Amino acid sequence: MQIELRDIRKSFKVYKRPEGKFGLLRGAFMRNVQQVEALGGISFDIAAGELVGYIGPNGAGKSTSVKIMSGILTPDSGECRIMGRVPWKERQRHVSRIGVVFGQRSQLWWDVPVEDSFDVLKDIYGIAPGDYRSRLAELTATLDVESLLRTPVRQLSLGQRMRCELVAALLHRPQILFLDEPTIGLDAVSKLALRSFLKEENRKHGVTMLLTTHDMDDIEALCERVMVIGHGQLLYDGRLAGLQEKYAPEVTLKVNTDAMIAAMYSDLALT
Amino acid sequence: MNWKQTGRASRSLLRISMAEGLQYRASAISGVFVSVFWGIIECVLFTVFYTYSDNGWNNNGLSLEQTISYVWLGQALFLFQRMNIDGELMDKINNGNVGIDLCRPLDLYTHWFVKSSAAKLGTSWIRSVATIGVGLLLPAGYALGAPESPAGFLCFLMSVSMAFILCSAYAMLVTAIRLNVTWGDGPTYILLLVSGILSGTYLPLRLWPDELQTFLYLQPFGGFADIPIQLYVGSLEPASALPGIGLQLMWSMIFIVAGRIIMNRKLHTIIVQGG
Repeated sequence: MQIELRDIRKSFKVYKRPEGKFGLLRGAFMRNVQQVEALGGISFDIAAGELVGYIGPNGAGKSTSVKIMSGILTPDSGECRIMGRVPWKERQRHVSRIGVVFGQRSQLWWDVPVEDSFDVLKDIYGIAPGDYRSRLAELTATLDVESLLRTPVRQLSLGQRMRCELVAALLHRPQILFLDEPTIGLDAVSKLALRSFLKEENRKHGVTMLLTTHDMDDIEALCERVMVIGHGQLLYDGRLAGLQEKYAPEVTLKVNTDAMIAAMYSDLALT
Repeated sequence: MNWKQTGRASRSLLRISMAEGLQYRASAISGVFVSVFWGIIECVLFTVFYTYSDNGWNNNGLSLEQTISYVWLGQALFLFQRMNIDGELMDKINNGNVGIDLCRPLDLYTHWFVKSSAAKLGTSWIRSVATIGVGLLLPAGYALGAPESPAGFLCFLMSVSMAFILCSAYAMLVTAIRLNVTWGDGPTYILLLVSGILSGTYLPLRLWPDELQTFLYLQPFGGFADIPIQLYVGSLEPASALPGIGLQLMWSMIFIVAGRIIMNRKLHTIIVQGG
């Protein structure tokens, strides 16, 4: 298995202000520290080339587990091996083999042209010049961002920036890609483009992807397998169809709204 | 650590930060005005002190001409010092984007050291050069003088490069301390202000009381500006350059080691803020 998690636990300290009349004042001198359990023993395996959706309500522990798997956070206990390495112990070697996209955060340099950011990443990951050129050409062509390369990042729209973020995350040919809400705030056309790109990348290069999202259309379009997490526990791990049988047994016909809106945009020549 | 790749990554980060710094030309120009303004005020003040003080004031062998040169070089080197933590790093500490940098196959300390030094250099070199240029052009009496000797000038240049590393190392130590998010900005400003005062850029260290001179020479912050400038104006002989630069080197290493230790310790427990 490419990714193995065994009984991973993580809790955070949360500072609470004391209640009552003089809570504000007392809080300045003594703080109530509370341990909040973010992950209460999570275990799962993901095989190479799988495309897995990771869903659950806000605060369920999704981001925490992604951070642990990308080597940013050290769990309190439990084992985790990714491509044979413990992420937080061999962080530098681990992260050179993975890519991460945070929908809410940018990894590009804000004030300079996109291309400059890619150049820096090339040197940070030590990508050979020839490989870099061909990979960049491939990614920019499929994501249709060639015309944006000379534009400063601050002048890109969210959809354009997100596509550039994907290029940045995939330049060094990672074997695993973690996507944390990659479609957040995107319009229908961009969403569809992003999805088809991810699917293609997974099919062509066998990149394993773990996708966190609240947009169920993302999951439906991309993932065969879903994991549901809540209160720090893994509640469901299986096919998306299995969830449907259990919670929405009667088949309903639904308009694919993203496709509908995308068709309207292109009909009105808005994109 | 892979030194070759780290070196290449550092060069690349330096280049992009310089490019970013060059975007802010208006800020560089207004910065030059501030530096020149302060320089002229200090020149006037020192001229008054030197000319009108009774029975000669205790200047520890620093002549008025040397002091005037000290003022201009001090204004230029002042730009190596941080008035606050690098904005980009501060944002990352506060909102949890430090996660992005941890996803890079680089040692975080090295990564941030290069990033913040490059950002500082990118924005300040134009301002430094322009301030020195104005200092040279001013009428005699208020102008930056020539270096005491060619050897002294060479020592000055070496000491200036060391000063830049020392300033960056100290800034990184302060940044590492700032990783305690709940402490707020207070300790940071105290640390940076103390270093600025003890660097001699506000008042040349030679003009401080006699009893303090040994302490002032050995403390780390003289290496920010005082040591290189004294080598230029000749109040430190080129023969004392080696111990002076050695002192800068020693303090740089101490700051780097301390910064690394604190940062690595914080990294194990760092709470990556935000969802």
